[in-house]
Amino acid sequence: MKFKDKHKFVRSNMKKNRTRLWMTILASTIGCAFLIMLASIGFAIHKTAVDDVMSFRMVNEIQVQKESGMMTENDVMKLEQIKGVKAVTRKKYTPANQLSIDEFNTFANVMSAHMPSEEKAGFELDKGRMPKNKNEIVVGYHFAEDLRKDQPDNYLEGLSEEQAQEKMKELSYKGELLNKTLTYHLKTDNPDIKIEGPVQTVDVKIVGIGKKPAREWAHDNSVFITEDLYNEVISILGKQDPKIASADELKNYGEVKAFTASADDVKEVTDRIEKLDYMTYSIIKELKQMNVYFTLFKAGLIFIGAIAVLIASIGIFNTMTMAVTERSQDIGIMKAIGATPKTVKRIFLLESAYIGLWGVGLGTLLAYITSYGVNFALPIIIEQFVNETPPEGFMLSYIPWSLTAIAVTICMGVTLLSGWRPAAKATTVDVLKALRRDV
Amino acid sequence: MISVSNLSYAFKIGKKGKENIVPVLHDVNLQVAEGEIVAVVGRSGSGKSTLLNLISGFIQPEVGSITINGTNVSKFSESKWAEFRLNHLGFIFQSFQLIPSMSAFENVELPLVLKGVNVPERKKRTEEMLKRVGLESFQNHYPGELSGGQQQRVSIARALILNPPLILADEPTGSLDSENEKQLLCFIKELNENYGITFLMITHDHEVASIAHRKVEIIDGYLREERILHEVQR
Repeated sequence: MKFKDKHKFVRSNMKKNRTRLWMTILASTIGCAFLIMLASIGFAIHKTAVDDVMSFRMVNEIQVQKESGMMTENDVMKLEQIKGVKAVTRKKYTPANQLSIDEFNTFANVMSAHMPSEEKAGFELDKGRMPKNKNEIVVGYHFAEDLRKDQPDNYLEGLSEEQAQEKMKELSYKGELLNKTLTYHLKTDNPDIKIEGPVQTVDVKIVGIGKKPAREWAHDNSVFITEDLYNEVISILGKQDPKIASADELKNYGEVKAFTASADDVKEVTDRIEKLDYMTYSIIKELKQMNVYFTLFKAGLIFIGAIAVLIASIGIFNTMTMAVTERSQDIGIMKAIGATPKTVKRIFLLESAYIGLWGVGLGTLLAYITSYGVNFALPIIIEQFVNETPPEGFMLSYIPWSLTAIAVTICMGVTLLSGWRPAAKATTVDVLKALRRDV
Repeated sequence: MISVSNLSYAFKIGKKGKENIVPVLHDVNLQVAEGEIVAVVGRSGSGKSTLLNLISGFIQPEVGSITINGTNVSKFSESKWAEFRLNHLGFIFQSFQLIPSMSAFENVELPLVLKGVNVPERKKRTEEMLKRVGLESFQNHYPGELSGGQQQRVSIARALILNPPLILADEPTGSLDSENEKQLLCFIKELNENYGITFLMITHDHEVASIAHRKVEIIDGYLREERILHEVQR
């Protein structure tokens, strides 16, 4: 018997008791939708957590440290030779961090960096160029915002946090910064460092402004100075405070990061770096641990959801058992004229598979609609009734394709299992009893 | 065409382990030649239907052997029997055994569907067959909308659709009035004479048996009497 004929046969059989059929499909639909929706909460929490971790770091970034001591130029060279490493960025942070132009002042994150490596690692300029001369600098995208006039007394009094932020913007530098010369004050707001004597200054010229960070909430007020300027600053400060001159962390790199070409290479490169006795930290490592907990959590939710599918499968079992009983005569006639037990079994399995397919299809659709509705309506409800704004990108339900695939597999598997016994029963229908209408 | 040798059969009645054995057939030997119409007659409970059910494969013989068309079918599995029935046997039942939810066309077409014949071929052959039994205008009628005679003709059309060499008929006229009975017997004779189809017929009606070339009688499970009524015309 061809598949097309089996399909036609099954369709005409299914039409015989539509109410019962649709009730069974409805049970499967609800079971499947419940499974997906329940698990989607676990998937949403997992996704939110992963997004949260990833939003602060780059996926292909590996932080490298020595077990003892600071990272040196020699270490950087070793890292650069490791297979799969695209770039090694290294930074030295200066204790002097005040810059000013006219009456505008800021305490920024001043560091010397190897700019070719930074570029390789993905650093891009919004305007200008990279520094070529000693006193040229590159500033972060938000540097101008932090460059402010001194705040008058009681300037922010009585204002809410949001209002204060807006008010502070009024004090920010509004003009063009590119090619402007700033005064770099060789003093620090670090209370541990005591610089004696008058504060010396160096004129620096902004030749480049970094690109706006991809993450909207990120605030980039960093200042990149050249290695030569860094050495000069340390030398000047060292004369004023001997602690600076001898500080190991100022001579060596305060931060070294290895970058791979893609996230897939991170694990292998991390292993290679660790073999050289360095300590590493990467987002992949953190995610790996986190994924274990969330996988267990999601598996638990899927297990609970599968119970609903099992309950729905009892409906399919009953429907199919009744169908076999009702059609015993037909089965007997078919067997008498030449239908093999295999054909009979396949017809009934196909019928339960169709019920399952309808249930899974409608259930998945229902789950997607509900998920969309929940994610759309929940923030509104929270705002209305709790008067709180949920975090940006917050999701209560997330249905990735993998969850759909898992749910479809579970539902179809359970459906076929529940249809198996009635289908097997159909093959055992006694022809003679069926022909005598004794079954 | 059919060779039954030393066939015995007993029904087991009751719970497993405490079954009562009721012997039905004893050492039956029967030969049916190609192109013959053989009528098996006997009283109710004599074992004639059991003999037909054994030859049809609906029940498995315990002792003896059955050969149909040169194939020993005694030890066939259920699947093999189903295939064999589809390819070699046609059935006419007393109560027609049509599927009520299928139209006359669909009932006749069913063996072709089971055999996997393609749709255009199926349509052509089914229409031809319905025309042959005079039901071309009733093809969309359901069994419940047809008379007993018409239903039996649908049943015959279904039995003939795959051109089987052998038709097994169990009380074929049992549910028909005398007019329809006459028509059916004529049709059986015509099929036998024109197409050489072999018939093994179970009946308790001696008038029906009179169209057979040979009549055998079963009395209390024993094949007692064998009488040649007509010579087979080839």
